[in-house]
Amino acid sequence: MSMFFRKSILAATGLFLCIFLLVHLSANALLLLPETTARGLYNGYSTTLRESLVIKIVAYLLYLSLIFHVVYAGIVTYKNRQSKGNPYVMNHKTETSTWASQNMGVLGMLILIFIVVHLVNFWARVKLGIGETVRTDVAGNLDVYEVTYTLFHNIYYVLFYSVLMLPLGFHLHHGLQSAFKTLGFYHKKGLAVLAKISLIYAIIMSVGFAIIPIIVYFK
Amino acid sequence: MKITFKIWRQEGANSEGSFKTYDIDGLTEDMSFLEALDHLNERLVLKGEKVVAFDHDCREGICGQCGVFINGRAHGPHDHMTTCQLHMRSFKDGETIVVEPYRAGAFPVVKDLVVDRTAFDRIIEQGAYITAKTGTAAEANAILIPKEVADNSMDVAACIGCGACVATCKNASAALFTSAKINHLNKLPQGQPEAHRRLVGMTDQMAIENFGSCTFTAACEVECPAEISISSIAEMNARYVKAKLFG
Repeated sequence: MSMFFRKSILAATGLFLCIFLLVHLSANALLLLPETTARGLYNGYSTTLRESLVIKIVAYLLYLSLIFHVVYAGIVTYKNRQSKGNPYVMNHKTETSTWASQNMGVLGMLILIFIVVHLVNFWARVKLGIGETVRTDVAGNLDVYEVTYTLFHNIYYVLFYSVLMLPLGFHLHHGLQSAFKTLGFYHKKGLAVLAKISLIYAIIMSVGFAIIPIIVYFK
Repeated sequence: MKITFKIWRQEGANSEGSFKTYDIDGLTEDMSFLEALDHLNERLVLKGEKVVAFDHDCREGICGQCGVFINGRAHGPHDHMTTCQLHMRSFKDGETIVVEPYRAGAFPVVKDLVVDRTAFDRIIEQGAYITAKTGTAAEANAILIPKEVADNSMDVAACIGCGACVATCKNASAALFTSAKINHLNKLPQGQPEAHRRLVGMTDQMAIENFGSCTFTAACEVECPAEISISSIAEMNARYVKAKLFG
């Protein structure tokens, strides 16, 4: 299998995950509304998602994307290590490139740890019914708002959810623009615009996701 | 000027290497880095020691032979510069300079600072040329090429094949070199008849030679003496995707 194919899988799955994050953050923004409105809208939204067939298909695409992204990152990294061979004794990498671009694997691993904990906190409880039973709200929807609210009143979880958005930001900043280049976007002025968009996107995602648990904590 | 060189010494491809330290006096700021190494070697000859092997040829920045890793950077501390164009005034009096050979699986060490870069030649053999005789300058001028296309082609044709891109890349990827050679000809009408064979042949060879894949850290474009942009790699990817999807 060619190195182009492997990198294209990484890029395409990465871009799909980027779109997902955008939708995810928009939904999270509901948590910032006043409590009664937020609870109703958030629980209603999450019920709609669970019951929609389209979302079910998209969700499976999402699981696959994540799995392929992680597996291919592992394969590509392993092959690249073999290609490099002996490392330099002195290597001033950061003079020629950003720290994030040199450490996508480490950043990705931190994000993976986050995703596992995040899935245990929500996905396992709400969707798989593992752990403490989720109650229903007045409208009869599963009270996901309550799950979120309780979780984000534990300072350790707030710190965990907020701090790990930093590696996410760095990973997205390099990943978004690189994915486009990997898939063959090479317009010179376009690349300059793309670099700016990637920076803005990364900041919005990492600050946005990080700030919500903090706000909920003080709610 | 007094300099302490810490230089990688390795007898042959299969021997163990190690750093050796040399204190050397009598250098001047106007000496090029290669002249400083010459100066060191003259002292070693007088002492009856083996000289440090290093590659060099034109010493005017166009042959791409003088590839060494100096103080943690390909071709030394400056961007877009070959080792022969690096002068001792870039270092402080009394400084220690660490000199290593290029590190990449596809560039095995031959001796000391000399590496075998023939993997590049084998990529070139897969199509970085035009098989048919293209005639003389007069005939070439008969094919009209828009100025912008000619300029873009010339930008990547500037690649001197020095290998700094591979040396600085954390994945030892040859994507910048290979893309430059492919785009140079595939942009021009003369390159069209063999464009597909060139693209597939050269990228396949890149993988056969065990070069890594491109992560777009952009370290290569900073070190490239010919200032070739990583957009060249993205363009190669575009050609590849197009070729695979539409034949």
